Amino acid sequence: MPKFFYPKLALSSIKRHLQLYGPYLCASTTMVSMFYMILFVAENSGLSKMRGSEVLGQLLRFGVVVVGLFAVIFLFYTNSFLVRRRKRELGLYNAFGMEKRHIARILGWETFFIALFSIAAGLGSGILFSKLMLLLLFRILEAPIPFGFEVRLEAVLITVKLFSALYLVIFAFSVWQVRSAQAVELLKAEALGEREPKARWLLALLGCVTLGAGYYIAVVVADPLVALFSFFVAVILVIIGTYLLFTTGSIALLKLLRRSKPLYYRPKPFIAISGMLHRMKQNGVGLANICILSTMVLVTISTTVSLYVGLEDVLRTRYSREIVIRLDSYEPEAVAAVQAGTEAVLSRHGLEAAEKAEYRFLSLTAFRSGERLLTEKEVEPGLTGVRTSLHFTPLEDYNRMVQEPVSLQENEVLVYSNRGIYEHSTLEFLGRSFAVKEKLASLPGDGFSRTQTFASYYVVVRDMQVLEELRRNLTETEGRSAQTSYIRGFDLDTSAEEAAAVYRDLQESLPRKDLIWVESRDEARQEFLAMYGGLFFLGLFLGTLFLLGTVLIIYYKQITEGYEDRRRFSIMQQVGMAGSEVRSAIRGQVLSVFFLPLAAAGVHIIFAFPMITKLLILFNLTNTALFAACTAVTFAVFAVFYACVYLATTKAYYRIAAA
Amino acid sequence: MNLLEVKNLRKVYTTRFGGTQVEALRSVSFGLEKGEYTAVMGESGAGKTTLLNILAALDRPTSGEVILGGRSLSGLKDQELAAFRRSNLGFVFQDFNLLPTFSLRDNILLPLVLAGESYREMEKRLQPLARRLGISGLLAKFPYEVSGGEQQRAAIARALITDPQLILADEPTGALDSKTSDSLLRLFGEINEAGQTILMVTHSVKAASHAKRVLFIKDGEIFHQLYRGELSVTEMYERIADTLTLLATGGDVRA
Repeated sequence: MPKFFYPKLALSSIKRHLQLYGPYLCASTTMVSMFYMILFVAENSGLSKMRGSEVLGQLLRFGVVVVGLFAVIFLFYTNSFLVRRRKRELGLYNAFGMEKRHIARILGWETFFIALFSIAAGLGSGILFSKLMLLLLFRILEAPIPFGFEVRLEAVLITVKLFSALYLVIFAFSVWQVRSAQAVELLKAEALGEREPKARWLLALLGCVTLGAGYYIAVVVADPLVALFSFFVAVILVIIGTYLLFTTGSIALLKLLRRSKPLYYRPKPFIAISGMLHRMKQNGVGLANICILSTMVLVTISTTVSLYVGLEDVLRTRYSREIVIRLDSYEPEAVAAVQAGTEAVLSRHGLEAAEKAEYRFLSLTAFRSGERLLTEKEVEPGLTGVRTSLHFTPLEDYNRMVQEPVSLQENEVLVYSNRGIYEHSTLEFLGRSFAVKEKLASLPGDGFSRTQTFASYYVVVRDMQVLEELRRNLTETEGRSAQTSYIRGFDLDTSAEEAAAVYRDLQESLPRKDLIWVESRDEARQEFLAMYGGLFFLGLFLGTLFLLGTVLIIYYKQITEGYEDRRRFSIMQQVGMAGSEVRSAIRGQVLSVFFLPLAAAGVHIIFAFPMITKLLILFNLTNTALFAACTAVTFAVFAVFYACVYLATTKAYYRIAAA
Repeated sequence: MNLLEVKNLRKVYTTRFGGTQVEALRSVSFGLEKGEYTAVMGESGAGKTTLLNILAALDRPTSGEVILGGRSLSGLKDQELAAFRRSNLGFVFQDFNLLPTFSLRDNILLPLVLAGESYREMEKRLQPLARRLGISGLLAKFPYEVSGGEQQRAAIARALITDPQLILADEPTGALDSKTSDSLLRLFGEINEAGQTILMVTHSVKAASHAKRVLFIKDGEIFHQLYRGELSVTEMYERIADTLTLLATGGDVRA
């Protein structure tokens, strides 16, 4: 046998099947490149010096795991597709007297060349673009951009190891696939008689039910904390539902359509329905994959973008003043100490507090059922309602911050809630009934709502006496003292550096560190930026990756279908269909198969919207309009991109099908 | 007047790159009367398939003319050609060419569906035809579920259902065993007896011996022809075999 026989054969067969291998090579190169880049960014030393680097580091390492997993699954999937397409050729080698171990050798060389190319090219482009990625991340994080160019040997080694191992497994799998088949089977692998798919009504019904249940959960969920858990349940239900409906539901529906004879026996439905029936059997899973990947891309990008864009909103919701001091007590001496300490620090810096706000609170977690607010002890089994956090504050604190002071009778209160206007005209608590004099649309300083996670009710009572009375009652019924606090917030009209200095000074000079917390919006911005910026970066990165996956699946789907449809359409032409009619039939079919996943992804997004809105509240993003806009823009951009992919791949399809 | 008139057909293929020209048909002329059952014989590469493709209006000749039922095919547009093919021609292929995604019923009805017939009309035509071809019980089955002979019967039903002027058959027994071939050839005979014009392309002597007339094609030209007349199938078989031997050894039997 001539020298280099197998390598040459392998190389020439890759060249011959460039239509198949080209996109595969591109995709695997990109996978290698993206894996290196995310690894490089995650391990970059410049990041560890940044504020909030722990969160960011965790996010990026999570990204590395996702990219790695995706690469493994995805390359495996594409390769099994390639082997299936090539079985005929390999069968031919077998029929010409090549033993299976020789075929394994060819496959081995092929895999070797592909691995060599994609790892080399992937690392090359990865190293080249890694700096760009880093610049992008630093830009997003608004951090000073580091100079110099770096290659991380460690990242290179990990990438090489991971992908070499992956290709080795892929090779073993291809050999196993070929080995387990007979020569004749290999030859006929593609021409096997197609069995008419059975309509599995039960599974189709189950698909409807799971999808419906997922949608239902997503739409009715009211509480953000509940949403977090229901989100995963809903996602799993919707994924199951999508797979079932794409695989069995579609077939059941088409069979139903076929039963109506006058409808079915017309040129377009006739070709479309029968074609789709077989198409869905083979491609139901692929289409469901595309649908779910698309939904993932859309959700990832739209949420991370809106979090990042809405960062200032988030900060304002979470920190209503630039500096917020919290004291876990409202005893007059402690309060006075904090007030004096703050003034001392401010005067040392020659500054004055603006937009001052002060509150004294009595806080507890309660259970709200209608107009009754119950303590933990009072809750009876079988009662329906929501867990809330409840804050009482005296009228004098409220009046200090509003333009027009209010007066209250003994049993009158003002009520504000972060969950919309309070619905009832009375409020019962600890056996006392209060008349609601006014339902407030806003509370100055938003009550320094520390987080929007819980539904919170702020009750303004007549004076400190009422507050003290409630506190005594609470101690009796609950057997422990209630949480009291004093909160003081203000803005500073000065530079960011000066404000940071004030913040540090306050932290150091205020007494009773165990009872006092000082927060600064500017300081928090850094940490929020690290987290939301990291999420944004990761969203873009993974979004691109998933998009790449979607494109490749679509491409291969089109190619396979092209080969299968070629024969069908040539027969149709023989029995009397014009070329133009054939083309329009192809177009109709491709269009519906192609845009079905996108349409389904759109529906998923619409139903997921209420739930994601609630989830974003956990991240302090309450700006629904912003999220809606981000979602709409993301979907529009995605749809345009999808359409471009359609046009490009359809060309490949026509070249094959109409040949 | 002849049903089919073929005049001086010439077809030259140009290979895609080299520009080498291959003459598949040099000059073919013949006529076909209504009700005739004609076989075209020749070796592989003699131009049989090219001829059939041109007759089927799937390919256009380089020069020359095909006239079917008084209409010249060369003047028709793509769209018209499709309609023309649908209503005037029926096809039977060597490998049946049934669509795997359709049941036999749907395969047979395909040309009518494409022509936009009503479902009631389709059923009316399908039932007697299926009975005649002995596939009434198989209509709900799919091609992969039935034998080759049954598939070919379904393909014949598909060709006949539009009641075409001419049936074009390309090596219809090529993929069948001898017993199934016999019964299929008998079926062709019966169909022809009922008045159907058939043009069959084959290199099987046995298949050709069932026809009433045999045209021999060699190197892109009609070389010779035989009429059955009063001969039996066996006698016809011998005559064809003799002619083929002469053709192969280069003898001149030009009629």
